[in-house]
Amino acid sequence: MTESILFWGLALAAVASALCVVVLRNPVNCVMALLAAMLATAGLYALMGATVAALFQVIVYIGAVLVLFLFVIMLLNLKGPATGIPRTPAAVAVSAAAVGLTAGMAWLGWRAMNLSIPAGAGAGLRTEPGVTAIALELFSRHLLVFELTSVLLLAAAVGAVFITRKEKEAS
Amino acid sequence: MSLEHVVGLGIVLFAIGAAGFFIRSNTVVLLLCIEVMLNAVNLILAGFSRFLHGAEGQVFIFMIMTVAAAEAAVGLAILVALYRLLKTLDMSRINVLKG
Repeated sequence: MTESILFWGLALAAVASALCVVVLRNPVNCVMALLAAMLATAGLYALMGATVAALFQVIVYIGAVLVLFLFVIMLLNLKGPATGIPRTPAAVAVSAAAVGLTAGMAWLGWRAMNLSIPAGAGAGLRTEPGVTAIALELFSRHLLVFELTSVLLLAAAVGAVFITRKEKEAS
Repeated sequence: MSLEHVVGLGIVLFAIGAAGFFIRSNTVVLLLCIEVMLNAVNLILAGFSRFLHGAEGQVFIFMIMTVAAAEAAVGLAILVALYRLLKTLDMSRINVLKG
C-alpha cells in the first residue's frame, strides 16, 4: 500500500516535471524542472531496490551533468526573447506526429514485452541485486564494455576541449 | 507497482522527451529532452532488473549514465562553439552546416 502510494506520487512528479522541461520558456527553469524529474526518478530507483542506480543518478546526473548544463547557460548569457513552444500549425502537426510515432513504438514494445516474458519469469531467483552482484557482473562479464567506456569518456573530454578552443589559436 | 506500471511510466516519459525534442527550438532544451529520454530508458531498465531479478539492468544503467555524461559534455561543447560562431542558439536561425 505504502509502496503503491509512493510509486504513484513519484510517477506523477516525474511526468509533471518532464512536461515542465518541454513547456517552460526559460532554459534555466527547464534545467530545474529536469532536476526535479531526475530526483523523482532516483526515488523510483530506490523504491525498486536499485539503490546503486539511485545514488549514481543523484551523483552523476544531478551533481555533474545538470550542473554542467547550468554552467553553460550562465556562461553563454543568452539574450533575446526566450522561445517557448511555437504555436504555428506546422509545429502542432510535428508534435502530434512525434507523439503518434512514439506511441506506435511504445505499443510495439508493449506487445513484444507481453509476448516475450512469460508470467512468473525470474520467480526462481529471489535475490535482490545488491552492490556485490552488480560489481561482480560489471567486472567479469562486462569488463570489456567497462574499459571501453573509459576510452569513450577520454574521447569525449578531449573532443569537448578540441571543439571549444578558440579559432585563432588553432591555426 | 508492477513491471507494466514501470514500463508504462517509462514510455510516457520517453514520449514527452521525444515530443519536446521535435517541437522546441532552443538547442539547450533539445539536449535536456535527450536527457529526459535517456532517463526514461534507464527507468525501464531498472524495472526489468527489479522484476526479473537480475543485476544486468543496473549494469546497463551504469553504462547509459556514462554515455549520457559524455554526450552532454560533447553536446554542450558544440553549443558553445555554435554560439561563438552564430551568436544564437535558436534552431530556426541555425541554417548553415559549415563551420
